[in-house]
Amino acid sequence: MAAPLTAPCVNINDEFVQVVSIGVKQGDFVKTGDIVGSVETDKSLVDVVAEQDGFVLRIDCAPEQKIRVGSVMFWLGKAPDESVPLVMETVPGARGAGGQPTAKARAMLKELDLNAGLIPASGERLTVADIEAWLAGAGKGRPVSTPAHRRAIAEDAPPVPGMLEELTPEAAAMLNTVTWHRDHAAAAYLELEYDPKPWEEHAACYATAQKLMLSPLLPLMAFRLAVLGRERPSINATIVNDRRYQYRPVNLGFTVQVGAMLYLTVVRDAQDMDAARFIEALGEVQRHAMAGKLPPHEASGATLSFSSMARWNVSRHIPILPPQTSLIIAHAAPKGTGKAVLGASYDHRILTGFDVVQVLLALSRPPERAAKADKRTRGNDR
Amino acid sequence: MNLNRDEIKAALRAKVVELAKALDMDASGVADDDVLPATGLLDSNAILELVVWYETTYDFPIKQEEINIDNLGSINAMADFLLSRKR
Repeated sequence: MAAPLTAPCVNINDEFVQVVSIGVKQGDFVKTGDIVGSVETDKSLVDVVAEQDGFVLRIDCAPEQKIRVGSVMFWLGKAPDESVPLVMETVPGARGAGGQPTAKARAMLKELDLNAGLIPASGERLTVADIEAWLAGAGKGRPVSTPAHRRAIAEDAPPVPGMLEELTPEAAAMLNTVTWHRDHAAAAYLELEYDPKPWEEHAACYATAQKLMLSPLLPLMAFRLAVLGRERPSINATIVNDRRYQYRPVNLGFTVQVGAMLYLTVVRDAQDMDAARFIEALGEVQRHAMAGKLPPHEASGATLSFSSMARWNVSRHIPILPPQTSLIIAHAAPKGTGKAVLGASYDHRILTGFDVVQVLLALSRPPERAAKADKRTRGNDR
Repeated sequence: MNLNRDEIKAALRAKVVELAKALDMDASGVADDDVLPATGLLDSNAILELVVWYETTYDFPIKQEEINIDNLGSINAMADFLLSRKR
């Protein structure tokens, strides 16, 4: 059975210790007395020593992490594939502990990084009320956590046998993106239908005039977005520490499908380009992505983005905001409907729904028609 | 690398069929002179994937301005363009 190795008490008055080092890795075999790590307080540094022979099944802490005295640092077992309990339910010698936590209590223990074994249960099972009573008795309130300031909480492994695997760079990038979207942006979404014919006609005329083989429809729409980014700086900005960070360049992110992967490629300094230069630059970037030769500067630094799922015939997709951007446009054109959809995921900390609707309306018309519409609007204002 | 015209065309056709299949399209009947962007079998992204595969497979770098109907618009055009550049 897996056995926990817990954080030692360094000083009687210190409830927490800081992890200084981890000297083993998962799968290592250690002997009784081996030093497996070290922790410190303001006053002392002590080694953490294995109390039995065994394989390191799991490590529940990391260097520089502040952990509670008595919380589990390592799990050791006789065999390398022994399962580790989801939550340590009892600790030998803990006062008055014993009841298995309820689901809500287990979630609260995890949220607050508490050891169930230290908290007495009033009934057969440990409840949220027991934890709150224990916190109150110890003079602690329940910490307030907000999404923007949420602390990292180590996740327990599922109770089903399995193994941890490293993410590919692409999967890690996706995780980073969705984590930023979840933890930082106040993400909202809205969309409008538009008539795709004017844009299609505009793209067909452009392709004929420029003798292009590939339809320039999506590149022209992305270029229009870049122009809007130059004209309306708030869509080309983000929030950093409660202040607006206004980007100087418009680095246009454009999603490119390569096999099963969706890359966010980036055309930098789009604000200095005309349509022809932008289409050429985007074509180069797309080819680099497809050849698996996307250099870092073409795969990062987007300040404003465009994504189309028209090729998959979807009627709606709600994209995740690329990190530190306030707007990504989602384009869809379901076949056979004669309609198309422009959607926008946006960071409501910086953009209002009104701002985004104005962008979508402007983007729904090719440049000449948009100019005429603007003229009409100005005329009506007088 | 074998630069037999018929083999190049067969390889191109197989790639077109593969790329179309990913878009839920059947390109098995594509003719050598069909203008690929006009067939509706491949969208721009897929045609660009075809071009990149063609460049990589035949070690044949293509400039952006060379991506046009005359050079790459059909299976015949692609085979001819490759052979003209490799001679």
